[in-house]
Amino acid sequence: MDLSLGQLGMASLWLAFALAIYAIFAGVMGALKRDARLQTSARFAAVAVFLALTTAIGIMETALLSNDFSVKYVAEHSRLASPTWVKVVTLWSALEGSVLFWGWLLTGYTALLAITAPNNVLRPWALSIMQMVQLFFISVVTFIANPFIVMAVPPLDGPGANPLLQNHWMMAVHPVLLYLGYVGLTVPFSYAMAALITRRPGIEWMTQTRTWTLVGWGFLSAGIIAGGWWSYEVLGWGGYWAWDPVENVSFMPWLTATAFIHSVQVQERRRMLKSWNVMLIVLTFSLSILGTFLIRSGVVSSVHAFGDGPVGPFFLGFFILVALSAFGLVAWRWDQVRDNAELDAAISREGSYLAGNVLFLAMAFAVLLGTLFPLIVEAISGNKVTVGAPFFNQVSIPIWLLIFLLMGIGPLLPWRKAEEQSLKKNLLFLLMGALLSAGLAFILGIHRVYPLLTFALAGFNLVSLGLLIGGAVVPRARLSGRNVLLVFKQYAFESKRRFGSMIVHFGVIVIALGVMASSAYRVDQQMRIDYGSSAQFQGYELKAVGPYTYPELSILQSGTLTEQDVSHISIGAKVEVWRGSKLLKVLNPRINRFLGRPEQPVPTPSVLYTPWHDIYLNISGELNADSTSVTLRVVQSPLVTWIWLGGLIVVLGTAYALSPSRRRLRETHELRGSAQA
Amino acid sequence: MKRFIGIVVIIAALAGLFVFGLIRGRPDRDITSNLLNKPVPNFDLPLHERYWAEYGETLDLASYQGKPRIINFWASWCGPCYQEAPELQAAWQELHDDVLIIGVQTQDKGKKQQGTDFIDQFGLSFPNVIDDDSRTSVAYGLFGVPETFFVKADGTLAYKHVGPVSAAFIKEKIAEVF
Repeated sequence: MDLSLGQLGMASLWLAFALAIYAIFAGVMGALKRDARLQTSARFAAVAVFLALTTAIGIMETALLSNDFSVKYVAEHSRLASPTWVKVVTLWSALEGSVLFWGWLLTGYTALLAITAPNNVLRPWALSIMQMVQLFFISVVTFIANPFIVMAVPPLDGPGANPLLQNHWMMAVHPVLLYLGYVGLTVPFSYAMAALITRRPGIEWMTQTRTWTLVGWGFLSAGIIAGGWWSYEVLGWGGYWAWDPVENVSFMPWLTATAFIHSVQVQERRRMLKSWNVMLIVLTFSLSILGTFLIRSGVVSSVHAFGDGPVGPFFLGFFILVALSAFGLVAWRWDQVRDNAELDAAISREGSYLAGNVLFLAMAFAVLLGTLFPLIVEAISGNKVTVGAPFFNQVSIPIWLLIFLLMGIGPLLPWRKAEEQSLKKNLLFLLMGALLSAGLAFILGIHRVYPLLTFALAGFNLVSLGLLIGGAVVPRARLSGRNVLLVFKQYAFESKRRFGSMIVHFGVIVIALGVMASSAYRVDQQMRIDYGSSAQFQGYELKAVGPYTYPELSILQSGTLTEQDVSHISIGAKVEVWRGSKLLKVLNPRINRFLGRPEQPVPTPSVLYTPWHDIYLNISGELNADSTSVTLRVVQSPLVTWIWLGGLIVVLGTAYALSPSRRRLRETHELRGSAQA
Repeated sequence: MKRFIGIVVIIAALAGLFVFGLIRGRPDRDITSNLLNKPVPNFDLPLHERYWAEYGETLDLASYQGKPRIINFWASWCGPCYQEAPELQAAWQELHDDVLIIGVQTQDKGKKQQGTDFIDQFGLSFPNVIDDDSRTSVAYGLFGVPETFFVKADGTLAYKHVGPVSAAFIKEKIAEVF
């Protein structure tokens, strides 16, 4: 009998499931009995689970690429004529596949942890917690949302992936980044749980997972920014963030994770905020599960909810289990995590971190409340409500500005207690920076309160970064008598963590300016242009040359095109963007119709990216291949590119902080050397 | 122990809420209003310029007494409103002899231009007024946007709908309630 891919995939899922159960059993028993052999067995099992799921992923990709429509997932979400890259990423374009993919990444991290984590008391418990989380994902994908179900009568072709998703290559990137973020933050969560179980709530669990935490945070940040860019390029309204539940739920764990990576430093330095840190990481992990539940269950209505499915109750159950057992464990071990040390002074590094923490949490709470409010009101009164962007903007802008303010002051404050004199001097510089940039912004024509404040705080923060670097470099240069640039290079090279954080903060300044300018000063117009003529827009000339089609018009009109030849048909307009007598770019805003899902045409904007403002064209209204004019939505968003650029800087800064520093390398060498001797 | 009880209570409350959400299933959009079968509040609001030629500079709801009216509240920032606008226009093209559809741009203070863009984007030919200070939306007990009120010829509220409507749905409801 021939085995079908579906059956093979099913078998590998079952194998992963059985191995995962064994891994938990061996891990927990090994930890309880301190049996090294059982612990080792659990570690090997972790690798085996990863291999089993890797097989499942390989089988699914084979089925997708070989168009095996006997597998239900392929039949429902893939299409013969789709390009290869679309077939590859179809793996995570719908519910079943994305849960499988998430689970696979999780088993990958677990296996890596099992191989690389230093051997200590925390490791067996942390691995077991990771394995419990991965068992949940494997169970969901095996029993509830199985992608390998075999079709009794396979169709000849399928409809293809969701048009909104296959319309942009970003779809290959954004979900992967987001999942890597969520999964990365599972590691510190597991170590925190292990620390509570073994009654070691000191700093071990944090220092050991620092890399994982930063990696997770970096991926989550990159994923959110990439999601914004995807909306900008695909959704056609010229914006990137709409406070839709889908967006909010990725934002909440990011907020708590950001609070976490700041407050762990307080515990490292001052042995304070133990309970805070544990609570923050539990909250981060719980919120990532809660978010998945909210999106996948359809409990809150979202404008763009991708893939409802039967998994809602299971994610809810898992959320309750996680929240109850994790917070329960914190409560049970409260005596150990309670803080002994007290804040020496409010105006100190730890004081500013604590204040920042409160603000991040307040923001997370506001976002959660806004997202759940419709559901709460309906449960109590039976009435339906929608909470719109105005609520979120009103609440979050002041909080953001306060965070922005703290970001400038905090790193300049010393631990414990600030000396009044140096504080005053620094504040003077900071205020001068703020006034200078606000004045500059005012001259440039920015007269509204929030944008002016943002500008002022950007200057404030730039000065702060300058003071930080100057304060580290100048005294050293003076002492050693060497060139300042050389000393700076050495400083950046040796204090990678500190310098990396400065790069990240610089990226945040860039993003803040981009968000402020693009939301406050965007110009959004509707215009009809006859082919052959042109229209003026903000100093540009938009010249509608004629229709744009894919495939070419002659092929479209010849009628010889069969459904197998192309994945989609585009109809749009060729619009030249001129500034003065210079042709800048030919834009092709268009409407794509994917042949597998013709009922859902996708407007596809076309953008001229410039450093100062984008020109964004989207088709609005009816358009045919033989139309003689085109109606466009024309958006000019100032500085919107800065958001993507700032996102890149944040990610690079995180990577820089993580790159092995020379000092650490030397230490490892010395350790190895002494071990060999 | 006390601390644990607090945690349990919070999680149980959240869980209860979500279980409710799951049992309720897909949000069903029929909700009651205190105004049901009572006269709806009158309004006399400025119209967007493009309707001036046909309806004058303001639109007084009471002056259309004797004709069934459908009042649709929307805002330029509201995603579902973009979804339903072409549906409303389609319904209007078919039904304009029998009912008057009135769009009300609300909860959108100072965003008249965005409202004009919204109207132009969909070529809405039924009259749209501006409720700049959102007083009318308060008078109608609006929870959010979009919401659609079906007002009978005698000026009483027959039915209220929350969330986007479709042309087919409007026709169905008209047959049912008017």
